[in-house]
Amino acid sequence: MTKLKTGKYKESHSMSNLICQNYPALLVLSRFGMKLGFKDKSIAEVCADNNVDTKTFLAIVNLLLCDEINPDNANHDLFIPSLILYLHNSHGYFVNYRLPDIREKLKNALTQGLKDLNKAVLYYFDEYVSEVSKHMSYEEKTVFPYVRSLIENGKKIKYNIGIFIKQHNQIEAKLTEFKNIMIKYYETESTNEIDNVLFDIFNCENDLALHNAVEDKLFVPAIVELELKKSGKKS
Amino acid sequence: MNLHLKIIIAESSVIIRTGIVAILQQLNINHAGILEIEDFEQLRSLLGRQKCDMLIINPLMSGVFSLQQMKKEAINNDMKYIALQNSLLDRSVLKNYDEIISLYDSVEQIKEKVNNLITLTKSAINKASLTSREKEIIVCVIKGMTNKQIADELCLSIHTIISHRSNITTKLQIHSTAGLTIFAIVNKLVTLDEIKKYQ
Repeated sequence: MTKLKTGKYKESHSMSNLICQNYPALLVLSRFGMKLGFKDKSIAEVCADNNVDTKTFLAIVNLLLCDEINPDNANHDLFIPSLILYLHNSHGYFVNYRLPDIREKLKNALTQGLKDLNKAVLYYFDEYVSEVSKHMSYEEKTVFPYVRSLIENGKKIKYNIGIFIKQHNQIEAKLTEFKNIMIKYYETESTNEIDNVLFDIFNCENDLALHNAVEDKLFVPAIVELELKKSGKKS
Repeated sequence: MNLHLKIIIAESSVIIRTGIVAILQQLNINHAGILEIEDFEQLRSLLGRQKCDMLIINPLMSGVFSLQQMKKEAINNDMKYIALQNSLLDRSVLKNYDEIISLYDSVEQIKEKVNNLITLTKSAINKASLTSREKEIIVCVIKGMTNKQIADELCLSIHTIISHRSNITTKLQIHSTAGLTIFAIVNKLVTLDEIKKYQ
């Protein structure tokens, strides 16, 4: 087996270098609630200042940058509560900020006078947003409580991560389709507003894909391992 | 371009199959699915069930079964047939194939031949405009009718409706009803007054 590359960034690297060289990593910071203004501090120092588990932070950043995970630290060293915090904040970001913001921009960018068509366009978008909300609220209400109870050895919840794996779908696919339909069929002047909203959709697509990757490549394997460990202890 | 191309390689020698696959992979065809088949009966049943875009086949594999018969049975009428020639063959055997790859072709030659056919296939899929039947069905779908209701209204079988719908999806690359609605309004197939859920 070929050995996967270990993460590009390490604990000792400077946080400001990481962000300047890879601005999408800003999103990871804000989802962990980490403050900017970190002077010359290293990644480990900034994480410690903000009570964030450094290995979890690096695992996500390196997944974002290289689309690869280091199998050695993927499962063993992740701090699951940090991961859940990240995913939870990420859900909030999409549902309460990103998607409503895109909708507002979309509404303003649509050509006046195309009444029926605009209605159909917004209908598609709203339907998509409600699907995303449903998808994410399922994770909030079912998956996360289960994982928390597993960690704390609390009340037993009848669930297992296998159910999640089976039904977890790629939520960005329908947004991609929406963007393609707009580009192919929505005849309009090329305005700054329409460019702006399309750029936002392209970005949001990437963000959603990363969010899914964190769930599928980091979160799920960590929970599978946790389940094994817990069931091993009992027997 | 998000086109799924399905390519079948029908050849009984695993060494030759593997070689062809390796060369195809160098072509960097996005979203291509390559399927290897070593047995002719398997191939026949597959072509009757699934829509494939390209078949690379050793002409000797089909035995007495002619290419015309195979074309009749395949559900995709636009499928491209490439003969994989590894021995001396009568010209009449090869004449109905879209292309011939010889075992002694260079990598560049093979790439060029396959690429030309892929370009043809892609433009065929892209240009395929909707038939009037397909447009009728789109209107029914966005009005919220079930396949059964559409079948009854148009006096067709459910099976036919399903196959029309799958063709619509392939041609437009639109998978959702809300997306079809946008398409239908742009193309003036329908007005929103006719659709209940938009009221």
